[in-house]
Amino acid sequence: MVTASISLRDVGRTFGVTRALAGVDLDLKPGVTGLLGPNGAGKTTLLRLLATALPPTQGQVSVLGLDPEVQAERTEIRRRLGYQPQEVGFPRGFTAFAFVDYIALLKEWTEPAARHAEVRRVLGLVGLSDLGAKRIRAMSGGQRRRVALAQALLGSPVVLILDEPTTGVDPEQRVILRTVLAEIARTSVVVLSTHQTEDVAALCERVVVLDGGRVRYDGPVTDLTGQAAGRVWLADEPDPEAVVSWRTGTGRYRNVGARVRDGVEHIEPSLEDAYLLLRGGSPEPETAGEVAS
Amino acid sequence: MDSRPSDEMLLLAVAECDMGAFRTLYERHAGWLAIRLARRCNDRDLVADAIQDTFVAVWQKPQGFRADGDIAAWLWGIAIRRLVSRLRTHSSVAAVFEHVEAAPAAEDQVLLSVEYGDIGQALARLSPEMRAVIQAVVLDGLSAREAAHLLDVPVSSVKTRLYRAKARLRAALAEGPS
Amino acid sequence: MTGWHLDEDIVRRYVERADSLTEGASVEQHLLSCEPCRARVNAAASVIELSVIDLAAVWDRTRNAVEVPRPSVFERLLRGAGLPAPEARLVAVASAFRGVWLTGVAAVLAFAALAAAMGHARGVWLFLSVAPVVPCLVVASSYDPWLDPALEPELVTPYPVLRLILLRTIAVLALALPAVLLFGLVVPGETAFAWLLPAVGFVALVLAASTWVSPLRSAIVVSCAWLTVVWLLATRSRSPEAVLQGRAQAGFLVLAAASFAIFLLRRRQLRQLRPWR
Repeated sequence: MVTASISLRDVGRTFGVTRALAGVDLDLKPGVTGLLGPNGAGKTTLLRLLATALPPTQGQVSVLGLDPEVQAERTEIRRRLGYQPQEVGFPRGFTAFAFVDYIALLKEWTEPAARHAEVRRVLGLVGLSDLGAKRIRAMSGGQRRRVALAQALLGSPVVLILDEPTTGVDPEQRVILRTVLAEIARTSVVVLSTHQTEDVAALCERVVVLDGGRVRYDGPVTDLTGQAAGRVWLADEPDPEAVVSWRTGTGRYRNVGARVRDGVEHIEPSLEDAYLLLRGGSPEPETAGEVAS
Repeated sequence: MDSRPSDEMLLLAVAECDMGAFRTLYERHAGWLAIRLARRCNDRDLVADAIQDTFVAVWQKPQGFRADGDIAAWLWGIAIRRLVSRLRTHSSVAAVFEHVEAAPAAEDQVLLSVEYGDIGQALARLSPEMRAVIQAVVLDGLSAREAAHLLDVPVSSVKTRLYRAKARLRAALAEGPS
Repeated sequence: MTGWHLDEDIVRRYVERADSLTEGASVEQHLLSCEPCRARVNAAASVIELSVIDLAAVWDRTRNAVEVPRPSVFERLLRGAGLPAPEARLVAVASAFRGVWLTGVAAVLAFAALAAAMGHARGVWLFLSVAPVVPCLVVASSYDPWLDPALEPELVTPYPVLRLILLRTIAVLALALPAVLLFGLVVPGETAFAWLLPAVGFVALVLAASTWVSPLRSAIVVSCAWLTVVWLLATRSRSPEAVLQGRAQAGFLVLAAASFAIFLLRRRQLRQLRPWR
């Protein structure tokens, strides 16, 4: 019995002496979960683990109610899984169609007519229907990312793992991507990592913040944004009391601080503010339910 | 302002492997090419195959078009040669369609003389076999060998008929309009 | 372009083939340079059944002809030999990766075989130092993450990883071994075949080592180690043939068997194709 869920219990992953992940507990259901964190936080390692590309060195992983350690169950998981790695190199001379067709073949689409139709479908989803016959090596970086995404979408997976799917993709394509993912996320578990808080804010219901291999926050996006409520204000100068401040396009300074302050020009917090706050220092607790590492 | 891309622009896009441009090119040209081919060969499947071959050839070598003429003429050149190629390998005989002779209406006579002058009327007086050869060699631009494949006659017959047709035309023109 | 255009009657006669040769020729000449009239002829044709060819069906076939990748000759041969579609494609794709690499290999081998054919002992040593390591280098390059660009998405498909690696290995060996054999034939004596067992041994060793470290790294280490051994033996002025007989051959056989056994025992490690970072 396959249930659309992923759960991790006290999962850790070590490479030699480097501890990439530690003490990770997660429960993911259908919907889009964003993975935020600085470089080296362990996002890619975590995604590889979820995609069954890597086993944990400790703890338990359960995908779709199945155990990736058991080969038969792992194959079952992979039949319903799509994974877009951070970097995909493409073989020389392959067109977009040829590459996606090849992966489709490995995903057990043996009947040619059905396979070709599916390849065209996923290329259409990522906006590459007219470029199927173009060599990947002749494509732009953003177009290549889309080819990598297309192969992940083959077979309408129940689990979709995307490592930085929006990097290098232009704004129009990002909007299309958001629509596609929103549709899939109605019945599938979608996990994506990104550096852009705007993508998380626009697309994800849940956000997991990773830092130093540990989960710093796991919950609804709105709750995280709410943590910065009353802690973001505008001023003519950078405020020394702020955790972080920067000059905006209007010439004024946006300040994000740990304490709720009065008598300043407050503005609506964004997810980015909350994220910076989380990374730069913990806000003095106002709401319960924060996940500490 | 005309926002429709020109055929030349479509060809440039095809050189960049743009399937959408390729499709537009197909929609613009496959129709009239098929009709013109079908007037040389009444085997529909062969004509369909020739159209397919034509556009595959366009996809593979869009730069074959030299920007010194009409794209339509270039496409026709590819299409008729693909048809001949198919006929060569196809065993059954595909007869050239015989035109039903209809006397041109008075206005059309004027138009025809604008396009072809007295030759038009002189051509009308040739036998069907000679007309077919003139059409293949002079109008479609085929070589004697290609015309032989198209009409399913020996190369020597093509040359003889062409010679005789030209002689008759010269005579008819020398005679003057009748 | 004159202002003259085709009228309805002419178009209809043309499409129905009820015109004369001259009228038809006139229409056709006009169509070559007039886009609106071409569109009218297209439109008329779709209405009149007589001259219709199923252009939509032809479009589908044309699109498939240019978009769908054609299986290479090699792949078709494999399919004909009974290999199922995924395996045939895998093997063909693996071979495609290796084109440039194999050319380099062939060049090296040609040089070595030539040197060996000259009959000097040094020439034979040269061949012996190169021939046994070529197969393991080629195998390593066929699935090393650094050289195989598509490995990560391939890895998480339902297709069994072990089968993928073994197929790749067999595919590249099928190309590399005959090449080396062919060049080896110019070498006098038993050296022409004596390198085979060491080669197989090294391939098995690299397969086993890939369950710990990157395949390419282990292949390079094995190659350097072998070159060192050969150099040491050569400078001791031993005869090349003596080295590759009897006990040495038996030793390589044991190495091959043991390595392959370890590879199979530790095959689970293969699925984490990047334990090294």
